Amino acid sequence: MNDTLPGTKRLLITWLLLMVLTLLAMASAQLGSQSGWQPLPMWVIAIVLASAGFKAQQILMIYLNLRVSSAGWKGSFVTLLSATIMLIFLAYFFAGLN
Amino acid sequence: MRHNLVVGSENVYNRDSIAIGWLVRAVAYRCTKKPLVWCEETRLTTAKKDDWGPFSSLPGNPLMWVFILSEMLVFSAFFVLYAWQRAADPALFNASQQLLDPLTGGLNTMVLLTSGLCAAFAIQAIADNNKRRCRQWLGLAMVLGVIFCFIKVLEYIDKFSAGLTPETDSFFTYYYLLTGFHFAHVVYGLALLALASWRTSRVNVEIVTAFWHLVDLIWVLLYPLLYLLR
Repeated sequence: MNDTLPGTKRLLITWLLLMVLTLLAMASAQLGSQSGWQPLPMWVIAIVLASAGFKAQQILMIYLNLRVSSAGWKGSFVTLLSATIMLIFLAYFFAGLN
Repeated sequence: MRHNLVVGSENVYNRDSIAIGWLVRAVAYRCTKKPLVWCEETRLTTAKKDDWGPFSSLPGNPLMWVFILSEMLVFSAFFVLYAWQRAADPALFNASQQLLDPLTGGLNTMVLLTSGLCAAFAIQAIADNNKRRCRQWLGLAMVLGVIFCFIKVLEYIDKFSAGLTPETDSFFTYYYLLTGFHFAHVVYGLALLALASWRTSRVNVEIVTAFWHLVDLIWVLLYPLLYLLR
């Protein structure tokens, strides 16, 4: 049972990845608008959302150890995450058109 | 024919699991309307993991995954609702969002992610039968959780003192609703971590840290939505 748990190295790499992605999202949101608090370009919104989705996926697969589960469960959780991110992106996309 | 639900394995579940077992029982009954069997020694009774059908392949306690999935669905619905409400009036949401500090939110994200790492190390420790080390990691996870709460409370005080309340506008209604709901999860998670530190067993630590990672997962989606995206 213990060998299904993620190892120390894997946990540390995941944590580092999550931290870097958080900093990247913060930087993207700041860099996206050169003159203060302007609406972000769509590509920045896409990057920040994709980064958030990937972080959530990493927490599911590594921290919650869903990677040892069946393909069906992994697919279900990833589909739920992807659908949520996609619907949020569409809302921002349509808001940007107005 | 009515079947009783049973959870766990006699080798895995022991009497230390009673307190957290009540949480499992409540979730089980709510989801399935089938009562859990409570054996004569008032411990969670036995069943092989295969008894859970499709849930058998999930790591840890299957009922925790029922809970995680339902929480993810609820928060996903809230997030999508927020995004589409914002689409109706982006100018108002952007103006209000400007009053939040993305750096504070980012700092809290990193605090919570580090706390999640400590919780993952606690599982490793208990899997190696090292209770002392497990308690140390759980303790560190709790300290970081308390720091998260402290930063969040300071943020709430700052906003309230500036006259920004849930009734200010739609953005702040969502801000307080979503962060408040999440904050309640953090406080509950801290209580569960304390319980697992007190009654340290493999199953307790697995259930409690799974909940703690769920709290992490929700925040990594909540943070960019409220603080960054505009």
